[in-house]
Amino acid sequence: MAVTDIAVVGYAQTPSSRRARESEVQLLVPIVTEALQRSGLDRREVGFTCAGSCDYLTGGPFAFVSNLEAAGAWPPISESHVEMDGAWALYEAWVRLQHGDIDTALVFGSGKSSPSIPAEMWAQQLDPYYLAPLGVDPASLAGIQARALLDAGKATERDFARVVVRNRRNAKDNPNAQVAGDFSVDELLAAPYVRAPLRKHDLPPVSDGAVAVVLARGDRARALCERPAWIRGLDHRIEVHQPGMRDLTTSASTTLAARKAGYDGGPLDVIELSSTFSPQELILRDALGIDADSNVNPSGGPLAANPVMATGLVRIVEVAQRIVEGTASRGLAHATGGQVLQHNLVCLMEGD
Amino acid sequence: MSASTSKQNLVPKENLVPKETLVMEHLVSLTYSEELTPVLDRYVDALIDGRIVGHKCPSCGRVYVPGKGYCPICVVPTTAADEIEVSDHGTLTGFTIITPVAYYGQTETEPFVYASVLLDGSDSNLGGQEIVGVPHDQIRSGMRVRAVWKAKTDRSAEGVSNRGWGSVSSVIDAFEPSGEPDMDRAKYEEHIF
Amino acid sequence: MVRFGDMSQPRLVESTLEFPYSRTLGPVVGAFLAGLREHRILGIRTRDGKVLIPPLEYDPQTGDALEELVEVGPQGIVGSWTWVDDPTSKHPLDRPFAFALVTPEGADSAMVHAVDAGSIDRMSTGMRVRPRWRAEPHNMIDDIACWEPTS
Repeated sequence: MAVTDIAVVGYAQTPSSRRARESEVQLLVPIVTEALQRSGLDRREVGFTCAGSCDYLTGGPFAFVSNLEAAGAWPPISESHVEMDGAWALYEAWVRLQHGDIDTALVFGSGKSSPSIPAEMWAQQLDPYYLAPLGVDPASLAGIQARALLDAGKATERDFARVVVRNRRNAKDNPNAQVAGDFSVDELLAAPYVRAPLRKHDLPPVSDGAVAVVLARGDRARALCERPAWIRGLDHRIEVHQPGMRDLTTSASTTLAARKAGYDGGPLDVIELSSTFSPQELILRDALGIDADSNVNPSGGPLAANPVMATGLVRIVEVAQRIVEGTASRGLAHATGGQVLQHNLVCLMEGD
Repeated sequence: MSASTSKQNLVPKENLVPKETLVMEHLVSLTYSEELTPVLDRYVDALIDGRIVGHKCPSCGRVYVPGKGYCPICVVPTTAADEIEVSDHGTLTGFTIITPVAYYGQTETEPFVYASVLLDGSDSNLGGQEIVGVPHDQIRSGMRVRAVWKAKTDRSAEGVSNRGWGSVSSVIDAFEPSGEPDMDRAKYEEHIF
Repeated sequence: MVRFGDMSQPRLVESTLEFPYSRTLGPVVGAFLAGLREHRILGIRTRDGKVLIPPLEYDPQTGDALEELVEVGPQGIVGSWTWVDDPTSKHPLDRPFAFALVTPEGADSAMVHAVDAGSIDRMSTGMRVRPRWRAEPHNMIDDIACWEPTS
């Protein structure tokens, strides 16, 4: 049985940018420091550190080792790394905290997509026999998924555009967003396709950025934070890898992860989804049973800023921050990994 | 859909390809393009000018060459204001002699030295340096060395990238013995890598 | 390999990382790719009688080991698809094409592959396609060079 008194007590994130000149570690140093300062925890007190990043992004072998320097890893610390979004680093830290022998953890996620050609690089995350040699890029798979939605009568291109309009409008209030503004559905629908039926605005921006989180357990969390964002449930589930072996118009793994995380369908003040491509927001809403007037992606979501390997952990921070600041009492964050929503994580959070 | 809706021919077991008789050759090639970080840009400017610079941590005083833009021990940012010049003389703190095997991408054919050099005034090694002017069997840790600079007109930024271990090969050809007495091990043993 | 472009500030670094993999293919993927050399497409039957394409050594839903290879296709049906106007250097075709989910006749799942239709106007969900075989097979998935409309 999971311990449920683990909370987010500190956080910080960089603004998302198309091309950061600083190194990935330089992006991390100030925000790791800021997250710790916000929690009031000295970095030497941190019980466990876990990071999420991907060496392929900058093409730097062992780049994840350099990233650890942002945590101050000398004298040696207890740490781990996932070659996944930072949300999974948070998952590992949360599991580690269940042991009960430590009561704080530092988590961060970071990525600089700008040096690579993402469409070419991301093919390498796919099956190396059947998919990677074809150079199948994320946007092409998302395009296939989008048309499957259209063919199934579950959505229209106008629905995709509506998602973009709302996310970009929401992003106007997010100082960390990269793409924001007021657009009309008709003006978006006039844009050319890049992976029909997807247009450029249905795709996320290419982003550099980083995010850090401090977790604490029980009384330590209460001591560090006036209003901790308690993690009531956290679960992740994965589906078959081959895109042609599952229904791309649904997300069974998201539904299951939400159920295992204890989401009962009750009201949520804030929902942050890793809907990297606009049609995925519709799929995820459906998978979670969230109705159309819910407060989804008030940050603007990944369509406004997509610092890959941080994107999912940013969702958790966006929800946690609203709970800590008292503007929300209950929220749900979602992270995704793999291609076209193959792997999904759900984090249910509440304030006291 | 049922499996029996169309004609299917069972492939006899004896026709199956035995394990590992087929191999797929897949060359993955990924191209990256990025600006040098501002810290490295200044580092290269100095190198081309014949100076080696690093960042001195304002907190602990350790000097990193090249600068990182932060101190990994203290986790504080460092800036151009923390830039200092170090010597082009140093101590060989560790080395290996590599006998190249012909793997993909290996351009070396003869045994070569791969040494770490701790420049005077620095707390971090320059890794992967070539050592010349001394037979391989006389190379030793603690040996004092100095930079063999390329002619100013031949220097370029080519060897420096945001990843890697501080290559200066496009500016400094190698290090050679300086003739000074060997350094006491106690004076560099905290810097061996 | 590191080379430099514009030497004015800031310096731009370009580098190419190469990973030369030799992958042994095993009894299922190996059989599938060997089949392509003979212009045959092999799927694999699950315990509940469905035929998976591309064939895997296991049933991803149950974890059952699978070994019963069956020939499918060669013609197939396009499920969903997307149109790629500007192929990357890693794509199988250097002109506009579709990536599609193609279900060969007799299979119960689909494989992602390229469809060379010339124009998006020739693409539709449910269209029939046939494989265009690579002239000199090299034990890779693009021994099916692409799929093309049957009409």
